[in-house]
Amino acid sequence: MFKNYLKVAWRNLVKDKTNTGLNVTGLSVAFAVAILLAMAAVFQLSYDGFHTNGDAIYKVVRTEQTPKGPKVGAVQPAPLAPALYSEVPGVKRIARCVEDGTLALYKGKEVSMDVIWVDQEFFSMFSFPVRNGNDKNPLENLNSVVMTKDGADKLFGSTEVIGKTVNLLVNGEEKPFTVSAIADNILPQSNLDFQIAARFESHNEYGVSKEAWDRQYHAVYVELEEGLAASDFEKSSEAFIDLHYGEGIERLKRDGATADENGRFINLKLVPLKDVHFASFKNGFVEVSRSGPYLIFGIALLIVFIACINYINMSIAKTAKRLKEIGMRKTLGAQRQQLFFQFWSESLFVFLLSITIGVVFSAVFLSDFKSIFNTQISSELLMSPVFLIGLLLTVFAITMLVGGYPALLMSRLGTIQSLKGKLESSGNNKVRNVLMVFQFGIAILMIIGTLVLWGQIDYMRNKDLGFDKEQVVSFPLNGKRNSHDMVALLRDELNGNPDIVSVSGSDSNLGLGKDGSRSSSGIGFEYKGRIVMTNFLVVDNEYVQTLGLNLVAGRNFESAGDSLGVVINEAMAKELGEQDPLVSQLEIDDGVFYPVYGVVKDYNFRDLDQEIAPMTFFMSRQQNLTYGFVKVSPANMANSFAAIENAWKKLEPNAEFLGSFLDENIDRTFRREKTTAKMITSGSILAIILSCMGLFAMSLLIVSQRTKEIGIRKVVGASVSSITYILTKDFLKLVLIAFVIASPIAWWAMRSWLQNYAYRINLSIWYFVAAGALALVIAFLTIGTRTVRAARANPVKSLRTE
Amino acid sequence: MLLQLRNIFKWVQQGGQRVFLLKDINLEVAEGEFISIMGPSGSGKSTLLNVIGMLDTFDEGEYDFLSESVHTLKEKYRSNLYKEYIGFVFQSYHLLDDLTVEENLEMPLLYKKVKGSERKALVADMLDRFNIVGKKDLFPTQLSGGQQQLVGIARALIGNPKLILADEPTGNLNSQQSEEIMELFKKLNKEDGVTIIQVTHSEKNAGYGSRIINLLDGRKI
Repeated sequence: MFKNYLKVAWRNLVKDKTNTGLNVTGLSVAFAVAILLAMAAVFQLSYDGFHTNGDAIYKVVRTEQTPKGPKVGAVQPAPLAPALYSEVPGVKRIARCVEDGTLALYKGKEVSMDVIWVDQEFFSMFSFPVRNGNDKNPLENLNSVVMTKDGADKLFGSTEVIGKTVNLLVNGEEKPFTVSAIADNILPQSNLDFQIAARFESHNEYGVSKEAWDRQYHAVYVELEEGLAASDFEKSSEAFIDLHYGEGIERLKRDGATADENGRFINLKLVPLKDVHFASFKNGFVEVSRSGPYLIFGIALLIVFIACINYINMSIAKTAKRLKEIGMRKTLGAQRQQLFFQFWSESLFVFLLSITIGVVFSAVFLSDFKSIFNTQISSELLMSPVFLIGLLLTVFAITMLVGGYPALLMSRLGTIQSLKGKLESSGNNKVRNVLMVFQFGIAILMIIGTLVLWGQIDYMRNKDLGFDKEQVVSFPLNGKRNSHDMVALLRDELNGNPDIVSVSGSDSNLGLGKDGSRSSSGIGFEYKGRIVMTNFLVVDNEYVQTLGLNLVAGRNFESAGDSLGVVINEAMAKELGEQDPLVSQLEIDDGVFYPVYGVVKDYNFRDLDQEIAPMTFFMSRQQNLTYGFVKVSPANMANSFAAIENAWKKLEPNAEFLGSFLDENIDRTFRREKTTAKMITSGSILAIILSCMGLFAMSLLIVSQRTKEIGIRKVVGASVSSITYILTKDFLKLVLIAFVIASPIAWWAMRSWLQNYAYRINLSIWYFVAAGALALVIAFLTIGTRTVRAARANPVKSLRTE
Repeated sequence: MLLQLRNIFKWVQQGGQRVFLLKDINLEVAEGEFISIMGPSGSGKSTLLNVIGMLDTFDEGEYDFLSESVHTLKEKYRSNLYKEYIGFVFQSYHLLDDLTVEENLEMPLLYKKVKGSERKALVADMLDRFNIVGKKDLFPTQLSGGQQQLVGIARALIGNPKLILADEPTGNLNSQQSEEIMELFKKLNKEDGVTIIQVTHSEKNAGYGSRIINLLDGRKI
């Protein structure tokens, strides 16, 4: 019996090649894309999921009720972790960590590496498997380091390096460390990333910050005792906070902060390890949002959904052609279940074929997908039983629903009606119309999303940030030389090159450079009886002119020795609240007052999703610069870049030059937006193509079903255009309804997305009009060709075929 | 007694009025009869045939088939009943275009869950009996109308039914083909004892039968 079904199914599919082709192509592509997207989403959701103790590990953050509203601090002072461990019950293990980049040296080889400075518990808390060497407690000794395999390979050219000595540049000095163990390479879905792990106590900041509760510079991870809830820990840490942060709380009270609902000013909060990647502290509280990966999942589902709607609609429409068969089979004794099973097995056949092709497609395009959308997909994930079972179940469920619905309709038809070839079809058309509205609604929604996303990206790319991003090259000062010396040497080296305008340095990059690291620092100090918070940037004296910042008051640093004052931005001036900010004296170090030399116009030193904050420039030989900046003239920019690189090579022959123009750096900061935009773009293109494929197949069927009507209309004198109009208008009406439904949803979704950006475009009506018009035009072109041809056909012919 | 219809009514609602398709039909059919149903278009011939074949329902009356009361049976049992005892022949043959002659013949047996080897034997028998062995791998569209109807009859007979219902079996055929088909029916009736009820327009074809029932506006006259 089943063989018979298959035979009939196969012949049916082969007979109707256009329809089958459209269905199988559509479903395969949809499945392939959905598989890829789902893998990307699953990968993102799997962030930090590989730690065996992961459920008990939390990142410790501090929430503060400041006079300007709540604030979250993810960096902590060095004494916090030991104090927490000994004073608050329930801490099983605790580890501080600083992620950093530094220069590793071995036998004259210099490699800049990702270093993580951690407490020794780190390797027992987190699951970074140590394969060779001291696997119990690899960081037992203060001068021990753990290297990952690729780190060791990069520096030593081998992974058999246990016991060898590597020098790390700490605070400008080379310090020797012994490799005590080799760890597996860090998985791409790990939030903590490093090539070398060294002891926290060896970090350059530790010496001065060991006992300082007011110097916050590292993250703290805590592993709680089994069964202890995070909320219980947070509760029991309250006394601890009151003890150690009493002074801070008093100051907050004095400055007019309002307490939270529990009457508290400072709290410790635990962010579960698996949420860390998805946590945002921007709005002053911990927000965990996995909307990104879920959005990708959503797109994947919608695309499959659209392809499935095509299948359902085409199957239902095709019923008309198979009425005779259904009736005949019934008179021969087929029961409803048997018919259902027959039609369902045909669907199963199509779906199995499509999913197979889809899997092959997704495997073929895996690497392209990864590079285009710069996402990671671990291949273990593909083979993991959970993923495979999930895939199978999904496919089964889809086949059940999508294949089952038309099969159910067909098996329920009355015998006589189907033998006579009559279809009571009004209900079916309603279902069809609703599904098509759905389909085009989704497509229009995605098109609007695409347009708005690119609009916002374009806006961010072209916005005047207040500094010169086109003509400034930045590069990490990752060499062995002292950074201040290096900037001076570069300046000398490039002096006399007419295309080089100026050279400077600071301790933070603008945008995201090729080294991929970002940092920011801030300070708070007493000013006229209240706390003033500001971002803090160590610069050299030519920073302002190199970046093309505009001074609005006062003066710039005049020379390298002019380091007894600061330059601030307008936001900071406002924060100080002085009529004339130039009279302010800032007590940045205890007892030392720094006059304000000048005020620069506000510029966007942070990403565009954040407002411009107070900023203070500060010159100090004691603090290292980490990035160099060179301004070039607009002519010969490529040559100038090469000149900078050559100068670098001459001065730091062993260190890699990672320079890039600031506009590239800025572009890199919205890589995430670009990836999302690319995904939505391809999703919407696919959605519209699939919808149109369905529409096309539908128009074929409708035209063939209405051949007689067309013939009669022509015989009584209808024109080609009026017939085309009649045939097209029903479909175009559906597209319009879809537009009316999709627009408000899109408006709401895009508005809430844009809320994430402090600087954003206006949601103009034209985005919606353009999307609607696009969908309408594409839909019209899809059906138009067929309908016009049908309308032009000789009526005698069409009447005869009936 | 093969089947008995008592006071059968069938109607549809049209514009608030009952339009009767069958009105008070009483009919007894004994085994071995060859009955022709005649009447003008729209007189209810096909409807009556469909009611007898259990493909269509009726609104009032009683219908016994082999002493089973059809009007009380559920659809599933009804379909079991007709699949077991009734074969259908149609004016437009209603062969499945996607299946070969052989597969078309096999299909009723599949629904009766006949075993594979037995199925093969029965199909081979039938092909032999109708002299269409050479055509077994052809598709219906490759056959002439007469040949298609031959396959249609073979398919109706393959389940070894007690009753064959034929709805204008020669309506699409020319006179020579018609004659052949009618001869075949006569032979089946005489030699194999199959009960046949046919709907026909032609007096000549009706003449092959043993009894004629005339219908007008859903009523027996």
